[in-house]
Amino acid sequence: MTNEELIVKLKAIVAPYIQDEAAFKTLNEDTDFVKDLKVNSANLVDIILDIEDEFDIRLENEDMEQMLDVKSAMAIVTSKLNA
Amino acid sequence: MVGNDIVDIVEAKKQSNWQRPGFLDKIFTAKEQQYISKATNPFIMVWRLWSMKEAAYKLYTQLYPSRFYNPKAFKCSVNTLNGKVKYKDFECYVNTKITLLYILSEAHLDKTDMISEAVIFNKNDYKTLSKITKEILLNKISDRYTIPKSQLRISKSEFGIPSVYVNLEELNIDISISHHGNYGAYAVSDPARFQKPCRYTIA
Repeated sequence: MTNEELIVKLKAIVAPYIQDEAAFKTLNEDTDFVKDLKVNSANLVDIILDIEDEFDIRLENEDMEQMLDVKSAMAIVTSKLNA
Repeated sequence: MVGNDIVDIVEAKKQSNWQRPGFLDKIFTAKEQQYISKATNPFIMVWRLWSMKEAAYKLYTQLYPSRFYNPKAFKCSVNTLNGKVKYKDFECYVNTKITLLYILSEAHLDKTDMISEAVIFNKNDYKTLSKITKEILLNKISDRYTIPKSQLRISKSEFGIPSVYVNLEELNIDISISHHGNYGAYAVSDPARFQKPCRYTIA
């Protein structure tokens, strides 16, 4: 999967939880889920569960620790898919 | 130092499905899941524990500036009214107020009374609530320390920890701000040196 394809999938996953439309429209690797998209911290769990379902991977607590932005989510998903 | 967190009960019902498979297990320890399953109202227990974890995280990151997401590692123990949260070697006391409308938790290093004040809004809009809660907090600080409000501002560090500035200088007080759904909450905690001196009259 290319980075572009991955971003498209992540964008669809986070869509239901965002509270800042402008930041969502310009979502890129540097977008922060909380600071930019204003995702409620409890909904970060939903994003993590949705990522697990979409990519059929399992995310451990250590993986979740840094999953606060698109870039780190991409890195973790990629490493799990290649494992 | 103080860390607080408010949960709008109606909003929590709308925003999250705590009964979704995997949800509880990602956030709560085995002991916390027991509190939830044994509670008369499991939904309220879920958000009580959640707000305790959030308040404790906000206190922890003031002591150890950092940013991460690991709610499960903040381990709660609760009794009827209050509780404690542990994260690694860090431990704090958490007071929780549960009303029909919101759940408000506040974490301190020592046992102390709750100082957070809640704000009820007639609108549910993230940006407006964030802005107005800060305004109310700044008004309060302006009154308490007699500093013109125009000179005060709140700025967040790279880790998202808020501080109050008078012009360019950081004010030596700790604050915590939270908002969710239709509710906001703020707390101002004074270090001893900022408290007003008492007057002593010698006869």
